Amino acid sequence: MNNDLLRDPIERRSFVERCARYAFGLTVLPALAGKLSAAEKAVQVSAAARSAGFGKAKRIIFLELQGGLSHIDSFDPKTGDTKGPGAAISTKADFQLTEYLPETAKIADKITVIRSMSAKVGVHASAQYLMRTGYEKRSTIVHPMLGAWAQHYLGSSSKTLPSTVCVNRSANHGNGYFPAAFSPLPILDPDQGLTNSASAVSQDVQQKRIGLLEQLDATFGKKMADENVKAYGDFYESTLQLMKSSDLKAFDLAAEPAELRDKYGRNKFGQGVLLARRLVESGVRFVEVSSGGWDMHKQLADGMEDRGGDFDRAFAALVSDLDSRGMLDSTLVAVTTEFGRKPQFDGGGRGHHPLVFSTALAGGGVKRGYVHGKSDAKGYEPEEKPVSVGSFHATIAYAAGLPIEQEVTTPSGRPMTVGNKGKPAMEVFA
Amino acid sequence: MKRLILSASIAACSILVWTHPASGAKPNKKQQSPTPAPVAANNASQPDATPLKSELPSPWRTWSDPQGNKIEAAFCSLYGNILTVQTRDGKTVQMYLMNLVPEDRVFAADYMKRQRANSFADDYVKKAAYQIDYLIGSTLVANKQKFNGNATEEQYVRRIYLDAVGRIPTAEESSAFLADKAPDKRAKLVDKLLYSPGYTMHMYNWMGDMLRLKDTFGKGVPAFTFQDWLKDQLHADRPWDSLVRTMLTAQGKVCENGATGFLLYDAQMPLDGVSNLLTTFLGANVACAQCHDHPLADWKQREFYQMAAFFGASDGIDEKMLGAGKKLAKNGGKGTPGLNKGLVQKIASANAYRLEDTNKQHLTFPKDFKGNDSSVKPGAPVTPTLISWSKADAKNPAYKINTANPAQLREEFARWMTHPNNPRFAENIANRVWKKVFGLAVQEPVSDIDDLSKASNPALLAHLATIIKAGRFDLREFQRVLFNSQTYQRAASASPDLEKGPYLFPGPLVRRLTAEQVWDSLVVLSVGPDVDNMILRRGEDEKLMSLPGNSPTAENFKYVIDRLGSSGAAMGGGKKGGGGSEKGLLAEYQGGKPQQRFGMILARASELPQPAAETHFLRLFGQSDRLVADSNTTDGSVPQALMLMNGGASKLITDTNCAAVAAAEKAASTDAKVDSLYLAFLGRKPTDEERPVATQAMTTGLGMSDLAWALVNTREFLFVQ
Repeated sequence: MNNDLLRDPIERRSFVERCARYAFGLTVLPALAGKLSAAEKAVQVSAAARSAGFGKAKRIIFLELQGGLSHIDSFDPKTGDTKGPGAAISTKADFQLTEYLPETAKIADKITVIRSMSAKVGVHASAQYLMRTGYEKRSTIVHPMLGAWAQHYLGSSSKTLPSTVCVNRSANHGNGYFPAAFSPLPILDPDQGLTNSASAVSQDVQQKRIGLLEQLDATFGKKMADENVKAYGDFYESTLQLMKSSDLKAFDLAAEPAELRDKYGRNKFGQGVLLARRLVESGVRFVEVSSGGWDMHKQLADGMEDRGGDFDRAFAALVSDLDSRGMLDSTLVAVTTEFGRKPQFDGGGRGHHPLVFSTALAGGGVKRGYVHGKSDAKGYEPEEKPVSVGSFHATIAYAAGLPIEQEVTTPSGRPMTVGNKGKPAMEVFA
Repeated sequence: MKRLILSASIAACSILVWTHPASGAKPNKKQQSPTPAPVAANNASQPDATPLKSELPSPWRTWSDPQGNKIEAAFCSLYGNILTVQTRDGKTVQMYLMNLVPEDRVFAADYMKRQRANSFADDYVKKAAYQIDYLIGSTLVANKQKFNGNATEEQYVRRIYLDAVGRIPTAEESSAFLADKAPDKRAKLVDKLLYSPGYTMHMYNWMGDMLRLKDTFGKGVPAFTFQDWLKDQLHADRPWDSLVRTMLTAQGKVCENGATGFLLYDAQMPLDGVSNLLTTFLGANVACAQCHDHPLADWKQREFYQMAAFFGASDGIDEKMLGAGKKLAKNGGKGTPGLNKGLVQKIASANAYRLEDTNKQHLTFPKDFKGNDSSVKPGAPVTPTLISWSKADAKNPAYKINTANPAQLREEFARWMTHPNNPRFAENIANRVWKKVFGLAVQEPVSDIDDLSKASNPALLAHLATIIKAGRFDLREFQRVLFNSQTYQRAASASPDLEKGPYLFPGPLVRRLTAEQVWDSLVVLSVGPDVDNMILRRGEDEKLMSLPGNSPTAENFKYVIDRLGSSGAAMGGGKKGGGGSEKGLLAEYQGGKPQQRFGMILARASELPQPAAETHFLRLFGQSDRLVADSNTTDGSVPQALMLMNGGASKLITDTNCAAVAAAEKAASTDAKVDSLYLAFLGRKPTDEERPVATQAMTTGLGMSDLAWALVNTREFLFVQ
């Protein structure tokens, strides 16, 4: 199935409108809720910007290991006094991982590891916010996640399915200052998928009820200039669309072979990752899958076996699965976490350490079997090619074909860019 | 434990006398130009340290029921039918008034009346509320803005129910208020609602998000005792400062003393715990300083460690106990065959979560200390030192503490933190409660009030802190003042764009109901307001897990397992992380068993597992996962719409048993039926445009339950104006 065909057709009028606005170098929000295909997008990006890797990632799966993945105990093993409890093992590529990632080792020749991520925020909520949005948390504004940025520049990825879905976590206002319709659809339990999608009454009664609702709801909707009130209007519209969709089966994991479900791992994360694959296959552009429990202050060895094992199996299964379906080169998988963990062991675990940590990328035009950047011998700080969270976002945005230098203006007049003016790590692209 | 009990019974039964005039609360109505902001007036508003010389009789009494059962206990409070008393051994007990002999009922009602007379005088409430309006009004004028118009009666009644008791009013409650012609009916309703059981449930939900109430800690250690404890505090009217002090100084195992729950939540991460408590109780934005000097605020990494050192002599996890449990489970209970491995480990973990003060402060500066501070030697022990916000703090009486004895460090810290003169303690809780009531804090974010001059209205925040202190941290009376302000009674504003400037409170904000408010409203629509009397208590079984003498021998484990078995304790066989089976859960309610419909237990959100299961209605609508403080959300989503249109919520509402629909069906005419449903869902009658639309729909094959379906799906239902 060619998923690019699922995108909305060009809406000529809004396209022209957009081009006119882009000519001034600014997009104005929220007036722009129109749709734009990848092809149109290419028009606005200067030829110079279109080099290797640009726009290859048609879909993105963003894995979020919440709590802070210990880089030293996963993607960046050390030998000195900061070595963790797990031994370093060889992989199918020319770099090592720890023994907690045996399955990933087998597909290491298909991935890029970034060992020089660097940030300043060492508090979970704020650091997670940074990793999700590319911006530091502030109290006066909410920033959008990458899926919303992509929807802003590229339009909806499907007529009836949402463009962005988040699995195992709530939406947490992921649309930021973009319209509420860009908010991710949350799936809290992948096994259950999208619940309540079918009406409990006959089509006829349902239609009459909705007709009545529309009449009774109208006054309040008109009277209230509140953004959240408006947003609920949008959600109801999207919901009615979705209920009519024949793509709803994309949310149903029961349609996957039991063997494959086992391979991803019969746990929330594993099944969530499998669901992500199903969804991007059906036209969802951006899927975020969360895994909790990485805050290993104590009993790190147990935790890495437990959580690490779940992650290892799911990630490796996803990369192989996408590859065997011929989707890996057009699907970018990002392994992210809010920060790393301290080089020194303390009471069986490690503390928070944002100064250096690791992420990984696979597919979507990035190199296979490559390590980008380097941390020092202790795993304390970056030694080569530090990558900020903004740059990491810019890298993904670039791969997805988003104009990273383009500014949008928030409703209150602040200019913003995807990745907060970070420069993409161009060397990761094949 | 002893100490706690004593203070509980004293504090619980003698609260609040307003003895000082409101500082600066004598505004002249005609005054146009802004007056200088009233300073937080530490001296004038400082409450007496000694208990009030109230004329209350002894609260002790032997209570009896008609069957001759007796219990000796001190009166604490009476809300609705729920009587809270405390026995000599410190146990808080809730009883139902109608189960007692008539003399006891009279005593309780009378005592409550006297106790209430000890709260803010009505005159003080008026003055303090007027001062709020004045401070907001003058700021609005200075910024060329105006107050919103007044909220309608209908908007008001729905709003006050939601803000005071956490649910919408029933059709009867709305119409009773709307029909009332008394000029002081609003003040009366505020009093009635604040002193009803719904208030404690609502406050519990609000605190649940802030204090991260969670059924289990770590890998499945039950923490129901903490929840029971908090409920007791709210029912017994313990003021905020006393509540915080008790949590910060609590000793012992979580399976024995629920108050330890707050600190033990972070037992595995004591530094995070300190950062959490400073933010929650003082609005100190210290989290970043845990790892390095704060880039924006003034906090240094050194200061963070010096504060954390107050908890450096306290030990949260009993590693020996964990080890002993592990060993015993491994050996398969050698010498004591038949010990269930899983249970042994579970009991060991439950006993390992305990707070103990040692004689040595253990915290050292980190070896990779990054603060820019030449006085700090990385790896050296930290000397406990209080942070201060200004030079004036040096002379502040709150800072007079003694750090000589490591075992007393928490005690000293708590004394400083909850002291009325602490520079942020009163401001923090005032700011947070204001946000609960008005939809936005005077100073945002609530997690950072280090620089009080950055508040949208610094004089207002100072005044609110004064009221809090005057009321001795009684949050109920504090809210009585807020609810009586004219500002609260204004029409609501749409959510402002804060990037354009601060919101100056021309009225409260339009808000989506919190997850708990939507759920509690649905429950009341489904089964009626009796649910306000059903309380879930699950801590008693947990207490059975405590090993005798705290000694992890095989015999003791066997003893505890047998004890759990014979009591049929819900936690024995329950699912991991859950509060036992559903059947077990239903057995733990007091005041009536909640109904179950469509697989849902119809109890208030506060009386359900904390937090609710991931796919529960509450979580879909933004109830916090309780991993991070203050993370409830009110964002919309497609699954919410699906839940209301097709899911359990719509089934509840369209069910023939739905109380609101059944009541409407009893009305004589279609018009009257429609009116009844409108009152039940939206707290108002339909407009002249809406009524014909609704009645017309009833001729097309739709019925009252379909109208109920439509109403619950309107945005007006989900929002409070």
